Amino acid sequence: MRKILLLVTFLLIFFNLFVFSVNAQSSYVLPYPSSMPGSSFYRLHLLEELILKYWYYGDFGQFTYSLKESDKYLVEAKTLFEYKQYLLGYKALEKSNKYFLNTMPNLLSAREHGKDIKDKIVILSEASKKHQEELVILEKELPQNFVWSPEKAASQNLPISKLILESIKLREKYEKTNI
Amino acid sequence: MKKLIFSFYFLFLLLFSLFSYLFIDLNLIYLKSIYTGYAFSNRGVVSVIYCLFILLFFLFYFYFIKLIKNKNLSVKEIIFLITATSIILFFSYPAMLSYDIFNYIATAKVTFFYNENPYLIMPIDFKGDPLLLFTHAANKTALYGPFWIFLTGIPYLLGFGNFILTTFSFKLFSTAFYILSCLLSYKLTKNKLSLVLISLNPLILIESLVSAHNDIAMMFFALLALYFLLNSEQVKSYLLLLLSFLIKFATIFLLPVFILFKKIKDNQKFPFLFLAMFLIFLLSSLREEIYPWYAIWFLVFAFLSPKNKLILYISLAFSFSLLFRYVPYMYFGTHFGNTPLIKTSVTFIFPLATLIYLFIKRSIKFGR
Repeated sequence: MRKILLLVTFLLIFFNLFVFSVNAQSSYVLPYPSSMPGSSFYRLHLLEELILKYWYYGDFGQFTYSLKESDKYLVEAKTLFEYKQYLLGYKALEKSNKYFLNTMPNLLSAREHGKDIKDKIVILSEASKKHQEELVILEKELPQNFVWSPEKAASQNLPISKLILESIKLREKYEKTNI
Repeated sequence: MKKLIFSFYFLFLLLFSLFSYLFIDLNLIYLKSIYTGYAFSNRGVVSVIYCLFILLFFLFYFYFIKLIKNKNLSVKEIIFLITATSIILFFSYPAMLSYDIFNYIATAKVTFFYNENPYLIMPIDFKGDPLLLFTHAANKTALYGPFWIFLTGIPYLLGFGNFILTTFSFKLFSTAFYILSCLLSYKLTKNKLSLVLISLNPLILIESLVSAHNDIAMMFFALLALYFLLNSEQVKSYLLLLLSFLIKFATIFLLPVFILFKKIKDNQKFPFLFLAMFLIFLLSSLREEIYPWYAIWFLVFAFLSPKNKLILYISLAFSFSLLFRYVPYMYFGTHFGNTPLIKTSVTFIFPLATLIYLFIKRSIKFGR
């Protein structure tokens, strides 16, 4: 009996530690969800996104813009998936990946222009970790595939799990990039 | 006698310029060879010398005003005084009283060297840049309007990447705006007294020619806007007012006066412009604090209409007292403790005393 109690206590402590280590992976803070597709403000947000692309000029500016937009679309995807809006969520995650992919080339360009990028690499690494945390949760909760059947068009297969795994891989690659 | 005093004045300016080099920052690596640290290890002595310099500066100023009142100073002589003063003070150390010139340079470098948006990216983002050693507001994005940032491209590019050359290029830029403002004020008033009051005022000289603050650039465009407004060229006038506002946002307070300009009586036009800028000057304490160079905003308009004695004396009192605002920090070496209280007292006691004096004088006059 004593041995069983000890074993249970050990296992509880072990798994608690594990749980804590997952939660404390990244201190990076994602933004609140903004307006969602279908909202009348969403178009304004798209316009703002387009204007900000030019406002955030320069290597560091483009890096900040890309990461900001990637964060925004990841949160948007997460929210849409929660509401089972799989097609919209899928598209949002694709956009998040597109912007995330754009972060590193801007940092490399900054380095080429003689700018110290150490701090930005740390930010990107922390953001990558946070994104992965969220994507791992989504991967567990969402169906592997979803067939979306619109009323007047052919049905479409959404390989959600594949996209999430690709997204995680991309973030892993950027997190581990050693410059 | 006049020529002798002129010579003493130029000698005085030369000594003041030399004195400014006692304030070189230890971290300013570019001027390390002439760094003494004297101002930081002899705070008492330096504070007393500074006060004496300011007193002498005003003595000379009042002497020039007296020469005008006695009709003993020609326009040519005034222009000579302005030119010589500009040349001598151009060579002074610009960060004697304020480090803003380094902020201007840092923001220009973010924009024109690093090609980043200065409203998003701070100078501190560029680790290893030598400017970070001595720039005080490196952890802030651009504080000024886009037109100012655009304009700073000129002195920045003329510096050819050399810090000393860039610094003096910024000083030259500020000097140019000072001279243009002086000429424009004379064109507006055709009044020698106004010209002397503006061009030889110690506060305007120190803040524009020594510290090279951009307030003089903002006021130049405001004066030019006023010039076109008086000539009924409304489009040019509002466009220039917009440019002034896009240097530093204070001149937005002139807009209501500009709109109502035709309805205001002729002899009240300049006083209203003064009041608008005096109001924003007083309100600036709500945002941060009243900095001495903010006085340029209202001094220019106050001196355009020297007939209004109340405005004239209050403005002179402020220009005198605000230069002493630097003394508490100079003496204590800290912005905390008693420094803020002393600074506020120094700023307002003298203008208040002037107000009381004027009130008593008026009461006696009417009592008779």
